[in-house]
Amino acid sequence: MFGTILVKELKAVLLTPRFPATFAVCSILIVLSTFIGIREYRTAEARYAEGLELAAQTLRTQSTWMSLSTTAYRKPDPMQVFVPGVAGDVGRLSPIDGTEDVKLDNSAYADDPIFALFRSIDVAFIVQVVLSLFAILFTYDAVNGEREGGTLQLTFAGPVPRGTFIMAKLAGAWIALAVPLVVPMLLGLLLVAAYGVPLGAEGWVRCALFLLSSLLYFTFFIALGVFISALTRRPAASFLAALAAWVLLVLIVPRLAVMVAGAARPVPGVAEKEGWIDAFAKDRWDRQLKALASRWEVRQGAMEGMTAAEREAYQQAKQQEWANEDDAGRQDVHKDIDAYRVRVNEEQANRIAAQQQLAFALARLSPASSYQLASMGLAGTGVEMKASNEEAMRAYRRAFLEYTAMKQKETGTQGGFRITVDSQTGFHFSAPRERGTLDVGDVPVFVPPAGHPGRVASSVLIDTGLVAALTLLSCAGAFVAFMRYDVR
Amino acid sequence: MLKLVIAKELRDILTSTKFIVSFASCSVLILVAFAMGAAAYRSEADRVEAARRENLKQMEGLTDWMMVRNNRIFLPPQPLAALVAGVADDIGGTMVVHGRGEMPQEDARYGEEPVFAMFRFLDLEFIFQTVLSLFAIVFAFDAVSGEKERGTLRLSFANPLPRSTFMAGKLIGSFLALALPLLVPLLAGCALFTLMGVPLTGAEWLRLALIIGAGLLYVGAFLAIGIAVSAMTARSSTSFLALLVIWISVVLIIPRSAILIAGRAVDVPSLDDINAKKFRYAEQLFAEDRTVMSAFAPAEKSDPRAMIAEFQKFMGGLNDARQKKMDDFAARLSEERANAQALQSAVALGIARVSPATCFTLAASSLAGTSLALEDRFVAQAKDYQDAFAKFILGKTGVNPGGGMVFRMRIGNGEEETPIDTHELPTFEYRPPSPGDVLPASLPEAGALAACVFIFFGVAHVAFRRYDLR
Repeated sequence: MFGTILVKELKAVLLTPRFPATFAVCSILIVLSTFIGIREYRTAEARYAEGLELAAQTLRTQSTWMSLSTTAYRKPDPMQVFVPGVAGDVGRLSPIDGTEDVKLDNSAYADDPIFALFRSIDVAFIVQVVLSLFAILFTYDAVNGEREGGTLQLTFAGPVPRGTFIMAKLAGAWIALAVPLVVPMLLGLLLVAAYGVPLGAEGWVRCALFLLSSLLYFTFFIALGVFISALTRRPAASFLAALAAWVLLVLIVPRLAVMVAGAARPVPGVAEKEGWIDAFAKDRWDRQLKALASRWEVRQGAMEGMTAAEREAYQQAKQQEWANEDDAGRQDVHKDIDAYRVRVNEEQANRIAAQQQLAFALARLSPASSYQLASMGLAGTGVEMKASNEEAMRAYRRAFLEYTAMKQKETGTQGGFRITVDSQTGFHFSAPRERGTLDVGDVPVFVPPAGHPGRVASSVLIDTGLVAALTLLSCAGAFVAFMRYDVR
Repeated sequence: MLKLVIAKELRDILTSTKFIVSFASCSVLILVAFAMGAAAYRSEADRVEAARRENLKQMEGLTDWMMVRNNRIFLPPQPLAALVAGVADDIGGTMVVHGRGEMPQEDARYGEEPVFAMFRFLDLEFIFQTVLSLFAIVFAFDAVSGEKERGTLRLSFANPLPRSTFMAGKLIGSFLALALPLLVPLLAGCALFTLMGVPLTGAEWLRLALIIGAGLLYVGAFLAIGIAVSAMTARSSTSFLALLVIWISVVLIIPRSAILIAGRAVDVPSLDDINAKKFRYAEQLFAEDRTVMSAFAPAEKSDPRAMIAEFQKFMGGLNDARQKKMDDFAARLSEERANAQALQSAVALGIARVSPATCFTLAASSLAGTSLALEDRFVAQAKDYQDAFAKFILGKTGVNPGGGMVFRMRIGNGEEETPIDTHELPTFEYRPPSPGDVLPASLPEAGALAACVFIFFGVAHVAFRRYDLR
């Protein structure tokens, strides 16, 4: 019986203009967006390679260990072909040097805002917005349409169990709509393979999981459409209800959730945070200058009563010691400022995490956001991309600065300038700097952070679990509603 | 006769469930957009104010303007950007002004808080562009084919009713039925904006009115498309399917793919390359200047203060000369990039304008001052401020260190030094564009929308003349 109804259902769907229209539109969209995704990834990859090359060149042209600086670049992930996530929004690079903190800046969208105007078109977006609309609009009259057409009464003239009927309805709609999703997705994967995007074995697994989560999300909207249809008598009413549900779940809830979270858990702006750090740094340098001045007075005091020749000799003897003493003071300032910065950054990161948690918790009211979070988690292109890269870059910065400090000590130069102004000896300017270029072959290289498969898996599981639960609920709802449906 | 058709159309729509559901949901959405926009504007304004205060606070306690090495300036939130976000959250809104040299923009909102970039904001522009256009289609898809199916079409034409009058009545009637009720939540939203303490100037009210006007024109374009498609199809389910495909292409697909495909076809030199070139050139210039610095010998040889003053002046001159070379170099590089970018946006936006959604977004964002021109405007005003800042510091200290080295003498004679008054510092005030500034950019877009309405009205007209009423 189930088979008969399923076949009837499939025939009904496959023979309407809906099916070829959906299939054609989905195929075009998914293949087009995969193609665009591949090009975008290639562009990002080329930018990344160019950046690494430029950073290496720049490193070679510098001539002092003391002020050596470089740039760390965030590596694009091949999974962004399907799910770019916030890859265009998060900064691509961070300066690595002794004075500035790590901060990802120069996002692709900030560099070329024209691409930010309408943002990207990608497979995840197509599934999330377009396919869900198709799913709900092609199922809203599944039950009440047949009632209006009179075929429902006809069907139940025979000994058909209602449960079998509604299950066959769901299965038929699912098969008829899953084909337009799965076939072009497989085509898209072929395209990715043909273009030689370096996905790797793990990448293919992630792609497969992404495909499955897309199917699950899509199933939810089919079940919801049938459920709404089984709740209402007239297709005109269920059409409006389905459309309103789609607008609410896909367009409104996610956006509203982040806005509410932003208002409920405000985070001080970066500029303000940097203002605190600057204020601390200025204060700390001010104290350092005062200490320097008092040290200078002590040194002058020691020379009290010496002859000019004695002074000269004394200064010569003490010069290295004094320089080391002053340098140690300077290092202390840097250390203190770095420590303060770490504390402030940590507090800020905690606040941002709390805000994100609230935003995501609210957004998960809608399966559209759960799906988006799950796909970004699978692709590694979600919001944690920023934190994990910055964390890795901070570790890299420490290693880089340690290395340059060691090199500076090895070569025994101070770098910078030495300017002495003395009422007796006049003005002296010297720049004790290494000559020529440095051997930068051994400078540590930034290694992009590895993902946390465990953490990702658990968050993806939560999100897909939510979608699965809602799908089951909708199916059960459709089932229960249809049990009491008046077929006349 | 036209009046009669309009009145019938109005009655039909206004008494339908479809209307009540969509009107209620649009009203809620519009009010939410205004309320959340106002809240976001206020919190953003607080954040910028806090950052500005913090920026001044760190200078307090300094006793010498020489030690004010830089000043942070901020692009303040714009009330209209809360309604039409445009690229306001994509570009960096902070600059560090040194008095000389280039000022990279930092802290793009979406880059710093990617959680907002994930779903973006629910703003008025989005509601018009995506939600209201969808509802326009829902109202228009059965305008002709639906009446035919119900048999009312034949009934109407049993009377001596010219087909053109019927068509005009349909479009005008459905437009009035959608647009007039929408004005209620829109006006309520404006009132909410004022109540929530968002200060709008007269010019901004005018710009907001124009944005709403453009939005209604855009909704009108979708009504015209809907009626035209409806007049070309015999069954309303077919016309809905066709319109859905059109809506998806026009709103979701064309703007995005046209810009991505056409934009990437134009090769724009990367910022990284330019920055690296600048960095290396600066290093080279600085190395050259080091030898000049080493050769410095002051005329005055005994008074340290005079020596330092002379050295500062010397360094100032050196820095200015170096900066001049650097500016020329940078100008050449950025001109190349700017030209490529202009070509890129001409090509990409030109193709994307096939879609009325692009035209509307461009019109609304230029009216709101959040289009691509925002960045240029901010940078130009920041440069003016940089000059003012440099002049101020020069007036206070006699040199413009421009982020370079500064020398100070502290004489530990216990003399009390007076702290600087940070309020003397020139403040940066962003001047939003006036209606006169933004009209030239938005008029062609509005014209394109109007043309779209007329073209599809014409199409509907022609199609309906041959329509089989039975």
